[in-house]
Amino acid sequence: MSTSEFNPERLANEYDSQSPESIIKLAFDSFDNIAISFSGSEDVILVDMATKIRSDVKVFSLDTGRLHAETYRLIEQVREHYSIEIDVLSPDTETVQDLVRTKGLYSFYKDGHKECCGIRKGVPLRRKLATLSAWITGQRKDQSPDTRDGVPVVERDAAFSTSDNNLIKFNPLSNWTSSQIWEYIRTNGVPFNALHEKGYISIGCEPCTRPVLPNQHEREGRWWWEEATQKECGLHSDNLKK
Amino acid sequence: MRITFVKKIKADGNPCRKCAEVQARLEKDGYIDKIDHTIIADERDENSEGMQLAKQHMVDRAPFFIVEHESGDTNVYTIYFKFVKEVLNGDTNEQDAAKDILDANPDLDYI
Repeated sequence: MSTSEFNPERLANEYDSQSPESIIKLAFDSFDNIAISFSGSEDVILVDMATKIRSDVKVFSLDTGRLHAETYRLIEQVREHYSIEIDVLSPDTETVQDLVRTKGLYSFYKDGHKECCGIRKGVPLRRKLATLSAWITGQRKDQSPDTRDGVPVVERDAAFSTSDNNLIKFNPLSNWTSSQIWEYIRTNGVPFNALHEKGYISIGCEPCTRPVLPNQHEREGRWWWEEATQKECGLHSDNLKK
Repeated sequence: MRITFVKKIKADGNPCRKCAEVQARLEKDGYIDKIDHTIIADERDENSEGMQLAKQHMVDRAPFFIVEHESGDTNVYTIYFKFVKEVLNGDTNEQDAAKDILDANPDLDYI
């Protein structure tokens, strides 16, 4: 199907209460040029679900160069467990070297994480998505309490679509909670990141991720030093609602 | 075409860092003269013109650009590089474009 014939708004409503597997099947039935984004965290269940639908799934991971050893091990374990190729994407050497030379190895603690993320993750992701018609992510509504618009199960990707490429994004786990994810992992014997056994919930780069205490939101384990400025760009919702 | 640049004053009275960064890029890239109006969204005053424009256009982030065309159509841009590319037919480098996307889409933190 071409992306111009695809109606994400209608399908988002139609599939909102359906299972992640149904949404992945819709994605595969609708697009051939589609890939799963695998971060080396709980989104591993997407790979498990997808490989039960078809064996030739395309998977990519963003190797920022700063991931935990446990995450690299999981990526390798998943490659072998499911007998799939994983396209591991690296940032531009020259750009990373420029950043490190001018700002050091830990600039994000001072300048915020977006510059480093842009270089190590954003650019490779943008390049990859420019080659695809659609992608599948592990994004969930409960991951960020600040996300106002929610995460539809399928949407036109406004961030990465271009005038030449109307990109579609599927978020099959949007309505799942962390407990549902972990029930699936245990029931289906899905390989998981060993960091989860050490108190980590959300897992990103090593310097920007930490374990959280019981009942802390997973967001508190990521970029914790930025808490005061996280809403920097948001227009205060209480004001806007009035 | 009429271009309005809306930037924010935070609830604590300080200017928004991202807004200042975008204004500096407009100046550095030579596009500041293309901006017809600069309006403040003051979080301390819900009736400030910028806050009202945000409400009118259902925008929840700052800065943003409102582009009003002679045809009567209006487009709103919250991502600087897209505004530059689509409205001013300019270009930005890959790193800035990627950072703009991440800034405007905090949900991508979890990719």
